[in-house]
Amino acid sequence: MTTTDNSKKYLKTRIQRVETVAPGYSLLSFECTPPLTGIPGQFVMIRGAWGASPVLPRAFSIVQAGNIGQVLVRDVGPGTSLLCNMHSGDELAVLGPLGNGFVEPKSTKAVLVAGGVGVAPLVFLAEKLAERDVPVTFLYGARTENDLPLKERIENCANLIITTEDGSIGTKGRVTIPLKETLQDQNCVVYSCGPNLMLEAVGKICAAAGVECQVALESPMACGMGTCKGCAVVRPDGSFTYVCTDGPVFVAATIYGGEK
Amino acid sequence: MSDILKTTLGPLVLKNPVMVASGTFGYGLEYSDIMDISAIGGISVKGISLSPRPGNPPPRMCETPSGMLNSIGLANVGFDVFVTEMMPKLRAAGATVIANAYGTSASDFAELCRKFDDVEGIAAIEVNISCPNVKSGGIHFGVSGKPAAEVTAAVRQATRLPVMVKLSPEARDLKEVARAVEEAGADSVSLINTFRGMSIDVNTRRPRLGVGFGGLSGPAIRPLAVRMVYDVAQVVRIPIVGMGGITCLRDALEFFLAGASAVQVGTANFSNPTVAVEIINDLREYCTNRNIRPADLVGKVEMG
Ligand SMILES: Cc1cc2nc3c(=O)[nH]c(=O)nc-3n(C[C@H](O)[C@H](O)[C@H](O)COP(=O)(O)OP(=O)(O)OC[C@H]3O[C@@H](n4cnc5c(N)ncnc54)[C@H](O)[C@@H]3O)c2cc1C
Ligand SMILES: Cc1cc2nc3c(=O)[nH]c(=O)nc-3n(C[C@H](O)[C@H](O)[C@H](O)COP(=O)(O)O)c2cc1C
Ligand code: FES
Repeated sequence: MTTTDNSKKYLKTRIQRVETVAPGYSLLSFECTPPLTGIPGQFVMIRGAWGASPVLPRAFSIVQAGNIGQVLVRDVGPGTSLLCNMHSGDELAVLGPLGNGFVEPKSTKAVLVAGGVGVAPLVFLAEKLAERDVPVTFLYGARTENDLPLKERIENCANLIITTEDGSIGTKGRVTIPLKETLQDQNCVVYSCGPNLMLEAVGKICAAAGVECQVALESPMACGMGTCKGCAVVRPDGSFTYVCTDGPVFVAATIYGGEK
Repeated sequence: MSDILKTTLGPLVLKNPVMVASGTFGYGLEYSDIMDISAIGGISVKGISLSPRPGNPPPRMCETPSGMLNSIGLANVGFDVFVTEMMPKLRAAGATVIANAYGTSASDFAELCRKFDDVEGIAAIEVNISCPNVKSGGIHFGVSGKPAAEVTAAVRQATRLPVMVKLSPEARDLKEVARAVEEAGADSVSLINTFRGMSIDVNTRRPRLGVGFGGLSGPAIRPLAVRMVYDVAQVVRIPIVGMGGITCLRDALEFFLAGASAVQVGTANFSNPTVAVEIINDLREYCTNRNIRPADLVGKVEMG
């Protein structure tokens, strides 16, 4: 009838590898035929062969596309716990790529700001930008030195600046401190993903500095493709926008207000 | 061959008795490039109102044991956009469209259904008097017989299309409501819509949904839904469309045996958008192997 769009169909895949990359964080690699397409910031919906529970699939940012897809899973509840405890050869159903990814910078430099599991789409972005020789400054905020999954991959492709809340590694304090310094050079675009409060702070700092900022948001999701209307977030004018189809990447000012 | 699944719900004739439930399959078009949506018995589209509705403040959903709560609040594009933008594509795809209608008063419902009457390609209207997530209308019409009958009668006068009235499990006396809408002219009843539920985040001490409460759906409600279909089947003659937590053929068969002539699949679409088509194929095989039609199963539970 019409051509089949694989991005909207759950594909049966198998886990190739589950690697604990930090306490509570697992990097899942899965075999994709046809290859998983997708750009940084796009996401997939995943369900395991876990029977009736959980009822809903779970959303994860793409860390790597291609023949071997990758997602970084932080164990926060029943679904993520099941995924973190899977083994090579286990079945996985994957829907994607979904949503809109980051728009690559027109200016010469990129500043990436990650908090917690928000590092996932930004690792993908840093590796893509490095391939194109775009200079990347990667600001990575965590609670302690143990909460920095994929740190080595970032070191390989970007200028990594770490902040921790307890000062166990890098600068002590929030990631917004080095951000303000970095933005003194305005010729850059900022990309950020992490907890909502961090994203809002990053968005406001960028607005004040007159620098373009793109943020990747999360919201509870059932369908991941625009049908349930469950993933709404509120814009400054009170209207709603939907993370799965309008995002997950948004220009920060359209969510948090302010210029740019 | 495929005729074995042909199903008659009063004036409404369906290819097969497995539909998708309103609010869980969008407008159907979202899925038209991954499957043949004309294979589905009927697509009950997202609830439609005369004017577009933005929906409720987030968060709008969360998972609960064997189910989910939603407080979408009937966010929809409104009648005009649905008819001008969605319907031509749904007609082209050959979909069997059930228009799920929502109004804030009996006259509001009637006006909407009168307008649907002129739209080509709509197979039936499902009158939603059971939404738990809106301030006015919705569930208030569905909790007792009198308002439910008023809306049904108003709609009945406004349209020649088959009228399916969607009942709420929160009715004070579901059998009374079912009888009242039958008498007021409904061609069929569908049940159940969601139960009002609540979930609290114990860390923040706040409800997990933005408006505090939401509708519970999914396998968690299936035994309640099956019992309600059974109850209603004892008191009405019009066909019943059963739903609540259906995920596979076995679940659907329970509803047929309890007294439903057709079923709708809701929440299960979110984890597998092709689940309805899979159930249809399994049902065809089941019926062919036994040389029966789905109608032969309806109400055939043996109560001993
Ligand atoms: C577009 C998008 C991309 C995401 N990318 C990643 C990723 O790369 N890696 C990763 O580990 N997680 C990611 N998430 C979050 C992930 O989907 C949730 O952590 C997961 O659904 C939780 O499931 P659970 O069963 O383990 O826990 P649940 O019991 O469902 O939830 C545990 C806790 O997480 C909160 N939560 C549940 N769902 C979400 C959600 N969708 N967003 C935010 N908080 C939620 C709950 O309120 C609760 O506090 C992403 C979410 C979205 C929407
Ligand atoms: C996210 C969501 C949105 C829904 N929206 C509607 C709606 O617009 N109109 C309606 O009549 N029912 C709506 N429902 C109820 C379903 O159609 C169905 O009656 C209910 O979910 C029970 O079936 P299930 O357990 O298979 O999901 C909605 C349900 C969900 C989960
Ligand atoms: S997750 Fe269903 S509409 Fe966005």
